[in-house]
Amino acid sequence: MSLIQHIIRRLVLMIPMLMGITLLLFIVTHIVPVDPLAVILTEKSMEDPEAVAAATAKWGLDKPLPEQYLIYLNNLVRGDMGTSFKTKNPVFKDLKTFLPATIELAIGSFIFAILLGLPLGIISAVHSGRPVDHFTRVFSLLGASMPPFWSGLLVLFVFYYLLGWAPGPGRIDARIDSPDQVTGLFLVDSLITGNTEAFWSSLSHLILPCIILGWFTLALIARISRSSIMEVMTQDYIRTARAKGQIERLVITRHALRNGLIPLVTLMGLAFAGLMSGAIMTETIFAWPGIGRYAVDASANLDYPAISGVTLLIAVIYMFVNLFVDILYTFLDPRIRES
Amino acid sequence: MKLNRVLLFVVVVVALTTSLVACAPQATPEVEQPAEPVAPAATTAPAEPVAPAETEAPVATEAPVVTEPPAEPAAGGTLVLAMNLNDVVTLDPGYAGETTNLFIHINTYDTLVDIRPDDLNTIVPRLAESWEVNPEFTEFTFHLREDAKFASGNPVTAEDVVFSWNRLINIAGAPAFNLDGVGKIEALDEYTVKVTTAPDENGVLQPLPQFLASACNPSLGIQDSKLVKEHGGTDAADAAETDKAKEWLDQNSAGSGPFVMTKWSPKASIELVANQNYWKGAPNFERVVINHVEDPSTKLQMLERGDADMLDSLDPDLMDMAMGNPDIVTSVDTSLDMNYLAMVYTCPEDVQAQSQESYDALMSPESHEIICKKAFRQAVAYAIDYDGITQAVLSGYGTRAPSIIPLGIMGVDPAKVQGRDLEKAKALLAEAGYPDGATIDLYYGSSPTREIVAAKLQSDLAEVGITANLQPLEQSVYLSEMRAQKLPMAFGGWTPDYLDVTMWTDYFGLGDRSIAFRMWFKNEESHALAEEIRTTSDPAAREAAVVKIQEVWMEEMPFTMLYQLQYIHAFRKELQGFKFHPVWFVDLFELSK
Repeated sequence: MSLIQHIIRRLVLMIPMLMGITLLLFIVTHIVPVDPLAVILTEKSMEDPEAVAAATAKWGLDKPLPEQYLIYLNNLVRGDMGTSFKTKNPVFKDLKTFLPATIELAIGSFIFAILLGLPLGIISAVHSGRPVDHFTRVFSLLGASMPPFWSGLLVLFVFYYLLGWAPGPGRIDARIDSPDQVTGLFLVDSLITGNTEAFWSSLSHLILPCIILGWFTLALIARISRSSIMEVMTQDYIRTARAKGQIERLVITRHALRNGLIPLVTLMGLAFAGLMSGAIMTETIFAWPGIGRYAVDASANLDYPAISGVTLLIAVIYMFVNLFVDILYTFLDPRIRES
Repeated sequence: MKLNRVLLFVVVVVALTTSLVACAPQATPEVEQPAEPVAPAATTAPAEPVAPAETEAPVATEAPVVTEPPAEPAAGGTLVLAMNLNDVVTLDPGYAGETTNLFIHINTYDTLVDIRPDDLNTIVPRLAESWEVNPEFTEFTFHLREDAKFASGNPVTAEDVVFSWNRLINIAGAPAFNLDGVGKIEALDEYTVKVTTAPDENGVLQPLPQFLASACNPSLGIQDSKLVKEHGGTDAADAAETDKAKEWLDQNSAGSGPFVMTKWSPKASIELVANQNYWKGAPNFERVVINHVEDPSTKLQMLERGDADMLDSLDPDLMDMAMGNPDIVTSVDTSLDMNYLAMVYTCPEDVQAQSQESYDALMSPESHEIICKKAFRQAVAYAIDYDGITQAVLSGYGTRAPSIIPLGIMGVDPAKVQGRDLEKAKALLAEAGYPDGATIDLYYGSSPTREIVAAKLQSDLAEVGITANLQPLEQSVYLSEMRAQKLPMAFGGWTPDYLDVTMWTDYFGLGDRSIAFRMWFKNEESHALAEEIRTTSDPAAREAAVVKIQEVWMEEMPFTMLYQLQYIHAFRKELQGFKFHPVWFVDLFELSK
């Protein structure tokens, strides 16, 4: 089966998966014993029977559940994710508002995690049991065990408040005009519009939240790459490579890394999808207007359309990341390509 | 050796991190903010809807002819605020019903009349130079100042008032209730607007004594009808479906206020620029950026570093830290926001007589059976350690009124506050028929603060032998259940939308309204008094009724106030002119640096 066929098959398979997700989602959000009118209407208009009747009809709440589900599916197929009860905006529009900040944060954190995590893992694998390995272990452990609402406050306190090395919370300095919206990604938009001041300000605002959010992923990458490489280093082909006189650096980069990193690809895929689905605590501490905050508000208000929208978005992100990882495998591991 | 350099880098990073962790204890953990971001003050009585028949205009000189960009720009500079903007979901005055909106709208739109922070007793002119109210409170005539222009340059006319208010009514969004009871809004001439109340079923016009106070609500600010129409707005009867201006009004303002909104990034920031056409003159700041920051300690850090000039509120736990900084000024202000405990008034058998369905739906019917006894409710009120709750939840930054109308409102006498009295509580418990105590269920919408209140209530009640089983619910579930009249005992908060006593007497006193309805408080005396307060035009008679209704409430005890919040405001010492308002926070026009 060619790669193209494989991809198409996977894409088609996504349809029933999405159907399953929407159904599950619909059932879960609708069995909660809450009156959605309480969200749609205000305290005072709840007392107006006319307003109640109008809202019930407008949002289709008077229809039986299966019918509500079909209406929902029908709209979804046409790209209409519904209108948020709370913001009264199309959910699609809301997602578009909040997604860019999350993408920027997720990519930044991911880059930080890989750039630091991978070398740390490799070094500690090569020098296992030596001080550098212990340091890496402690560093990773800190990243994996410190909750971001604590470590986030801590780095803000030290690097922003005490030392003044990093900017405070937010995506950009309040006294600088944010770049004109093109993609919603401040870094990209400021480059497109040639606003260098905004570019540097948003870049510097990314540093602390990316470190905090990426630290956990960094820890995962460092630990898994270490054990994976150590395992590979005991393999026969490594001994062979050494035996034929290959210098150690090449043994590691050419032979150990390529094989040792395969399990990491899956991990990184999942980690990236995780970063993309929003980091509520990090977003809260750093006043970052991302998808995580939107999701929390949606669920706190039992805003069905918004909850469904966010969940679908995250499901789709995971599906595509998994697909991407699978494709990447075929390049990394010839055995998969062969089969 | 390449590897060694990498190693050195790693060692440095790790060392830095560990030293970082070592100085950890100073970091302040996340603390829940006491309440809504918009906080402000009020120690005097709110405005009574006394109609000052003819009030002279404050600045009624000839209309300045504004041409081109004004000769003299604003003194300049950017004012930066750090606020919690979490509640903002829209900034269209037709839809917005949240606390922060009031602050944004009062600074971007002008209301016809106003209640200023320094005198909450008096309704003063704003866009309306003067007004007349008939003795029946059914007709209100406003005379607009003729020199006011919108930021767009369009003149403010009676048509704009008609458009703005009809749009509000017909969109029927969250703020539409401010115009409840209004029947007709008409432009008599270019600068005269007449509002007539709606008739009841017999065709008699309903009195609306609180209308002037409600017209001070920032949601009733006047929109530039030309501009809003250009962006798809309409005030037609079907505006709920056909008005398309929301998307534009979420990002821009269309008012005549001192500032113009130019951008809103949800959960990030709101940006305002000075309205150079403002009829009072150009504001002191050219630009105002309101940044969304949730974490209280981070907010204070921003203030200390000068990245923010002012905060919406300061967490009481951070008060010492702020006081230690000579560059920061703090001020403690009593708000009109309060938290109350509500207890069911009607016994299950009477509920059943009214509706079998309601009876079947009651949650914890055994608790209903106990709490519906008056002496039991009184016992509960005497058993609560109010000072202890204020200390535990607000670090002492709170006060309390005798009933559920907050201190500062007319007819509320702080001397009548009843505190804790365990002996009395025990005696009343015996009188209710529970000398050995009783077990009841206490419901509430869960939040970190409410968990503390609940635990405190539980231990207070235990001291007189009442076992309170805590029943925390997710907030939206809690509201649904309470609205469905199911709960025997519950606690929550109340924030006024306008400064009139009906804000409390209607919703807590009329048996078919809001909290009174939800807790089955169907008491004829309370209902009659609340109705009287609604409809009486004589201020003295009104005040007397307010005094009386509180006596009824304190006797029947369907509600007891747990605490009235005080807020701490913090700003840089350079900032001048800061005055709090209990509804809309602060007038940015008054601020300068």
